[in-house]
Amino acid sequence: MSIDKLVKEAQMVSLTHQTRRLFLKDLTLGLGGLALGSLMGTACGRKPNAINQDILFDPMNPLSPRIPHYVAKAKSVIYIHLAGAPSQLELFDYKPELAKLDKKTCPPSLLEGKQFAFIRGVPTMLGPQANFKQRGESGAWVSDHLPHFANLADEVSFLKAVYTDQFNHAPAQLMMHTGSARFGRPSMGSWITYGLGSENSDLPGFVVLNSGGVDPDGGKHLWGSGFLPSVYQGVQCRSKGDPVLFLSDPKGINRNLRKASIKAINNINHIAHEEFQDPEILSRIAQYEMAFRMQVSVPDVMSIDKEPEYIHQMYGTKLGETSLANNLLLARKLVEKGVRYVQLYDWGWDSHGTSHNDDLEVSFVNKCRSMDKPVSALLLDLKQRGLLDETLVVWGGEFGRTPMQENRNGVPLKFAGRDHNPDAFTMWMAGGGIKKGYSHGQTDEIGYTGVEGRTSIFDIQATILNQLGFDHEQLTYQFQGRPFRLTDVHGEVIKEIIA
Amino acid sequence: MFELNKAKLLIAALMGAFLLFIFFNKSFEKKVDFNTEIKPILNQKCISCHGGVKQSAGLSMMTRSDLLKAGESGYTAIVPGKPQESELFKRITHSDPDERMPFEGAPLSKSEIKLFKNWINQGAKWGEHWAFMPVKNVKIPKVEIAKGMIGLHQSYWSESPIDAFILQKLNAKHLTPNPVADKRSLLRRLSLDLIGMPASEELKQQFLNDTSKEAYSTLVDQLMKSPHFGERWATMWLDLARYADSKGPERDAKRDIWEYRDWLIRSFNEDLPYDQFLIEQIAGDLLPNPSDAQYIATGFHRNTETNDEGGTNNDEARASAVVDRVNTTWEAIMGTTFACTQCHGHPYDPIRHEEYYEFMSYFDNTLDHDTYDDYPRLRTLTAEQKSELKKVLTWLTKNDFENDAKAAELLVRTWQPVYYSLRCDSLKNADIYDTKFLGMRNKSFARLAQVDLDDKNNLIVRYSNRMDGGWWSLHLDSPDGLELARVKAKNTKGRIIEEYPLKGELSGKHDLYFKYENPHLGTSTVAPLQFDWFHFGSQFPGKDLPDFEKIKNLYWDLICANTEHTLIMVENPPGMHRATKVWDRGSWASQKEEVQPDLPEIFKKDGIKIPKSRLGLAEWLVSPQNPLTSRTIVNRIWEQLMGRGIVETLEDLGTQGIPPTHPELLEYLSWKMMYDFEWSLKALIKAIVTSATYQQSSTVSPQALKKDPLNILYSRAARLRLSAEQLRDQALSVSGLLHDTMYGPPVMPYQPPDIWAAPYNSSRWNTSVGNQKYRRAIYTFWKRSAPFPAMITFDAAPRTVCSARRIRTNTPLQALVTLNDSAYVEAAVNLALLQLHEKKAQIQIAKAYEKAIGRSINGEKLAVLEQLFNETLKEYREDEIAVRELLGYWLKDKKVEASPELAALTLVANAILNLDEFITRS
Repeated sequence: MSIDKLVKEAQMVSLTHQTRRLFLKDLTLGLGGLALGSLMGTACGRKPNAINQDILFDPMNPLSPRIPHYVAKAKSVIYIHLAGAPSQLELFDYKPELAKLDKKTCPPSLLEGKQFAFIRGVPTMLGPQANFKQRGESGAWVSDHLPHFANLADEVSFLKAVYTDQFNHAPAQLMMHTGSARFGRPSMGSWITYGLGSENSDLPGFVVLNSGGVDPDGGKHLWGSGFLPSVYQGVQCRSKGDPVLFLSDPKGINRNLRKASIKAINNINHIAHEEFQDPEILSRIAQYEMAFRMQVSVPDVMSIDKEPEYIHQMYGTKLGETSLANNLLLARKLVEKGVRYVQLYDWGWDSHGTSHNDDLEVSFVNKCRSMDKPVSALLLDLKQRGLLDETLVVWGGEFGRTPMQENRNGVPLKFAGRDHNPDAFTMWMAGGGIKKGYSHGQTDEIGYTGVEGRTSIFDIQATILNQLGFDHEQLTYQFQGRPFRLTDVHGEVIKEIIA
Repeated sequence: MFELNKAKLLIAALMGAFLLFIFFNKSFEKKVDFNTEIKPILNQKCISCHGGVKQSAGLSMMTRSDLLKAGESGYTAIVPGKPQESELFKRITHSDPDERMPFEGAPLSKSEIKLFKNWINQGAKWGEHWAFMPVKNVKIPKVEIAKGMIGLHQSYWSESPIDAFILQKLNAKHLTPNPVADKRSLLRRLSLDLIGMPASEELKQQFLNDTSKEAYSTLVDQLMKSPHFGERWATMWLDLARYADSKGPERDAKRDIWEYRDWLIRSFNEDLPYDQFLIEQIAGDLLPNPSDAQYIATGFHRNTETNDEGGTNNDEARASAVVDRVNTTWEAIMGTTFACTQCHGHPYDPIRHEEYYEFMSYFDNTLDHDTYDDYPRLRTLTAEQKSELKKVLTWLTKNDFENDAKAAELLVRTWQPVYYSLRCDSLKNADIYDTKFLGMRNKSFARLAQVDLDDKNNLIVRYSNRMDGGWWSLHLDSPDGLELARVKAKNTKGRIIEEYPLKGELSGKHDLYFKYENPHLGTSTVAPLQFDWFHFGSQFPGKDLPDFEKIKNLYWDLICANTEHTLIMVENPPGMHRATKVWDRGSWASQKEEVQPDLPEIFKKDGIKIPKSRLGLAEWLVSPQNPLTSRTIVNRIWEQLMGRGIVETLEDLGTQGIPPTHPELLEYLSWKMMYDFEWSLKALIKAIVTSATYQQSSTVSPQALKKDPLNILYSRAARLRLSAEQLRDQALSVSGLLHDTMYGPPVMPYQPPDIWAAPYNSSRWNTSVGNQKYRRAIYTFWKRSAPFPAMITFDAAPRTVCSARRIRTNTPLQALVTLNDSAYVEAAVNLALLQLHEKKAQIQIAKAYEKAIGRSINGEKLAVLEQLFNETLKEYREDEIAVRELLGYWLKDKKVEASPELAALTLVANAILNLDEFITRS
């Protein structure tokens, strides 16, 4: 066909087009396409599973909201992970006996059969490096490092005897968030997004916010989708640059122009759909519309400058910073908008004691300060908005710390610091159907090992899923010939802390 | 009237009786197929409680004999021929829900119960799963083209045997295949499929102007000859090999293994037969006199992760790399899941827990460990160094030092075999620093356990010492044992390699002790002396022969030379053999009895025995005795070209995988792959792309969409969203930006700032300069903890573990990449620039579309784009700043003025690069 002829034809067609209300048409057809997509069901990925037919990967509409196994107590989760593993012995697990052992040589019985990341030979014991008080009606022990949180002890359930089987950061973080110390498994947020879809079609269902200067040790796979379709991976939102990668229009393309170009793209895609009848094209049209909306909704939810002054004061936020405080405020905004799973990582809690940059006297205290106020603010803020009941807040690291002073390479470190301890650490949960002012589990006299109410990281996962309405044994995905699940063959819901 | 009714009734009764007769006859006669009808029900509903993992009430349903045994209750699950006496049947039909099976589950459907009844009646015959049976030579079906296939030429559809298998199923569903796609669509489809990007302009013209019958076949051959063919197919393999340019979290430092990627590209281009391709990757190092290429190929299994995090257990990390190799071998090469047997017996297939470790044993004797430097490595010698090595070896051989020549060659090329210092234990005032290197303080010692000293009289050490003074020494059996060597310690100013003759006549295995003392240190906690590795061997021979000094110096210079390197496999020599043990419940920490290398019983039906070595295993993988390898690659190549595997679950052809859509076609091609194509991948690919099935158009009629919504029967060509790599390459290609040089270290094209943020790692993404940033996607630096965002968004595999299949998704984040990523904006600007020689905007738009999509634009679409152009132009004419913002950066080295027209055209080009037609291969 000659170009001239084409041009003529184009002019004709353009006349008819101008009379159409194209965006409206796009929308209806788009939704029609989605419905069609849903009917088409299971094109790939998995076979329908008799137990679990309500959760199916629908490639045409993978994020449509879905109903969990039973009525959920929590609609969303904010998981605050202190990467590096904060010391339970300076925060919640008060051990007066340990104080008595301070600077004494570690008895051999504590070292037998143990493997440490850094401790070699025979270390000395290290007494608590903080002052403790009992708080609130529940009488929970909380150290002076957390003056704000101390007032909220009656809001949370402590888990005092959590354990894992990994004693290095990357594997332990992977374990905590994917159920496996090795790579390749989907993260908890991905499982949940796969199970629940997304409530807000203009925002991702699973958002990750990082602070502390670097990514957590486990890298971006901590929010990866593993063998689940990649649509379920966490979307890292950032306070600097684009809040979501590639979100901003390129320089020189304003909103009007972007709108016009998406309109043109979708119009031509409609023509292509008439030609090929491929339902995937309709899905693509819907994705472009959603992208356009996200360009507005994400910056909106990711900016905190419109928050009132008292909120800034409460959280201790500073505009333009990448901080845990800012991220916690963002987390509240995100769950308010229907995001299901907000995962925060704050790096810098690895208090070995090699210098004042990672010791318990200076660095740890500073980290506590930067965390205490905004975390407490988050709980209060959720509460005052009536959101705490339906938002599960989880706080913890990837393992605990030893009651011994670290002696790296067999040489005692000069600053107060503790090595990794997978056998015991404290986590807490609040809101989302969790008991208030409760404490579950106990460690021995020196906080070395759990002696009562021990909970594994799989139990934590099972409990989080439970609060969202899932039976962790039933939230499965068929892969490599078998149904996989987050908790593998482990995990029991921690019934004791459920309200 | 009455009579008529009676007659009607009679007829009805007769018909009813007839139907009943047919029905009964059918139900009694129809032979129940265990594999396709019974096993899936067992797997889905029974085996989780009565299988390889759990045996509730002592009952397993893994084998027929299990079911014929009396269970704990005393009842027998199955009595062949007697459903009513079979406990299994009683329980699935029980009226009491507490007694009925599946326990606490929905009851079996009537038809399922009937299947069980008939199956037991017919003797409860068992069957082996098809994928574990030898590949059969199946007959090509004789099929007639269904009537009403207007416009299709019969002979065209019968040219390829593949079409016969496809047609057989289409006929059964009364579906007709589509006619052949138009030439331009075919050109684009074939180019993207074979070379991963559009064909060159020259090749396009050649094909479009070729009116001969062979035009298409010529195009296939031309594309297969293109060096870009290898790049496209290597991309597929990199997912299986979990290839990356970094070691893995937490620090995720850089790793040099790109020579393996280049080896893949070359192998695909040279059409290295698939059997050889696999043998070299699994055991290239064990082939006689391995070439550099054969060593490099073993990089396949060196893509496992290394964890440099302080405090890791090196032995456990090494073992977990071995586990990864086992699982990858099964998943990538044999399309079978084996990983579950690491912890327990296979839940669905008859593979025992111990068999996992017997298989693992083949892989457990390599010299790699969790070392910082990722040893063993092939040292990249220059041509000059190679010729020097040859001189050394010739001299040794000439003087009858054959064994020394062998050892010298291995040591120069690979720095192996060595003991890594991280293996030292019994440390006194010493430690494994950063869990990687033995570091020694004043008055310290460390043990290197169980060193093979047979015929050893020489020690070569790689180490560093930051301080002069004192000495270090080596002792036999105890810290105070016989002194084998004593070295005056000096500041080495960095890592060096030195050799020391060992005193005494040594043989057997001994614990050796390193001792260090430096009075200057006093009680300092500094550890100046740090070791990397130790090599025990013989002294360079021929001391009294002519040229000894010269040759020895050549040799020593080669050993000490700084070289580039790439990661490879090297096997433990006999004296360093490692025993593999069963890990109780898959836990490395609780190792039980020792096992020997062996295949799982299920693969030893014919009593085959293979050598107990990695090479033996590699040869078995590609032998006719292996039922899985050929099927797996055929299925994979089919998936790459047709969008879905014949078995959709590429990672699992086993009993839990999705059954094949065209089992006989899979069988036919798998047989052909081995015996006719002789493992030529190009022959296999050509057979598929020259089929009429492949060449169909991709339009679909409402009837076909209704009958076969997912196109399982191939009545049309698949429309497939391009892969992450294809998308990038295509955008670079159509905008004229592509820099298509091949091979070499990875490059860093544009990516947003602050993506790399691993702890304890200060390396930065420094965007490559010049045209290096326009290289094909396969050369992009792949960092495990932070993969290239634009590609990961389009479902690229993260490459931490083997990924047998990418699942395509369709998300708004993808739209954001192609709309806003600078790489795509730059492509749009350049696509627009290419059209500037045309005067009229309409023509520029039409040409830009044609360049990108490979077809001419129709009037309707042109109208839409033109309208976009006009609207945009209006805005840009009123907003000069926006014009400069959009174009300024990209035009700074070009002699083109930023104009509203160019800006508008750029926006149109940006839209074109986002069209479904561009993002999809049709």
